[in-house]
Amino acid sequence: MKTLLLAGVIGIWATAVMAHSPLEKTIPANEATITQMPTEVLMDFKGDIRLTKVSITHADTHSMDMDLGEQTSFAQEFSLPMQDMGAGVYVVEWRGLGADGHALNGTFSFTVE
Amino acid sequence: MPDAFGLAAIVTKFALYLGIMTSVGTVMATLMFRFDRTRSLVMGFAGLGLIAAMLAFSLRGANLTGDISGMMDPEMLGLLWTTPVGTALLLRLVGLSLLILGVFLGRAGLWISLLGGAVAIWSFIQIGHIAGRDRTLLDIALMLHLLAAALWIGVLTPLRRLASSIDTYASAADVGHRFGVVASVTVPVLIIVGGYMGYHLVGSFLALIGTGYGQGLIIKVVFVGGLLGLAAANKLRFIPALRAGDPAAASHLSKSISIEWLIILAVLGMTAVLTSNLKLPT
Repeated sequence: MKTLLLAGVIGIWATAVMAHSPLEKTIPANEATITQMPTEVLMDFKGDIRLTKVSITHADTHSMDMDLGEQTSFAQEFSLPMQDMGAGVYVVEWRGLGADGHALNGTFSFTVE
Repeated sequence: MPDAFGLAAIVTKFALYLGIMTSVGTVMATLMFRFDRTRSLVMGFAGLGLIAAMLAFSLRGANLTGDISGMMDPEMLGLLWTTPVGTALLLRLVGLSLLILGVFLGRAGLWISLLGGAVAIWSFIQIGHIAGRDRTLLDIALMLHLLAAALWIGVLTPLRRLASSIDTYASAADVGHRFGVVASVTVPVLIIVGGYMGYHLVGSFLALIGTGYGQGLIIKVVFVGGLLGLAAANKLRFIPALRAGDPAAASHLSKSISIEWLIILAVLGMTAVLTSNLKLPT
């Protein structure tokens, strides 16, 4: 019975998501390969959200939190300035709060050649 | 697989459900069946509900920053306070405080406790999958579902206490019989509104068997099926035998209630997983 329950719960978690992911699109797009580092990333959400944390990891080594000082209201579109850290894979992790109180988070990445 | 904060959120939500449902249910059962000595039970579970409500709110702050600092971050917690999450916390704090206050004001105070309990249960309408639907009928269904479930949970411990002493076997038989009559209305309501909400949340048979949320719901329904089996055994075998003066029936009833408690813990745990960690089918 215990094994059955455990298998059931693991099965559910395997198909689960931690939080809602309402990201409509990003520029650069998720998993895109581009030749030139963009000066900013655009995040377009399906509904209003207040971003609470955005961090960028470059080539699995260098990670930095982005300054969200001016992002103090709920909005659907965010444009965040990017710092050129050279060629490689950039992973953007974001967290935020939906207007309904749901915690939201997600990740997207792009590669600069 | 959830991260550490995700797991903490599930455990906290489980404690929140256990605390609120048991304390409110015990007040309802005390009023309905005139139980004695339930104050410490009510206070213990209401206290658990209060602590879990504050911890759950604080953990949401950690979810916003991705680290433990968010639990005490005034900006994050202030932000949350302006959303329905803050409204739910306020209702829980006010409701459970009233509930605790009422148990110190004698028999009449229990009505204040009941009012507080209703406010605390109403908090579940403010956030969650049902709140996102914005439909009055679903809100009423959830409220009925929770009140019926709370009464079921609330009657168990006082009834087991009565069934554990030879002096109170007759009272146990009487309460068991009267609860059986009440449950013949509340349990079908619990199941019908549960089915109605499940249909609205899941939407199709395919989503029921093909998504994590649907599979979680199936596991919860299986647990509830087990509960119904035990409840039927109590109503049709143990309670009538106890009323007929069979002392062995008291022991059977007591054991049956202990198993019911374990299954209820599993149901509340599964509900915490469903509401914390699983996305509704789209």
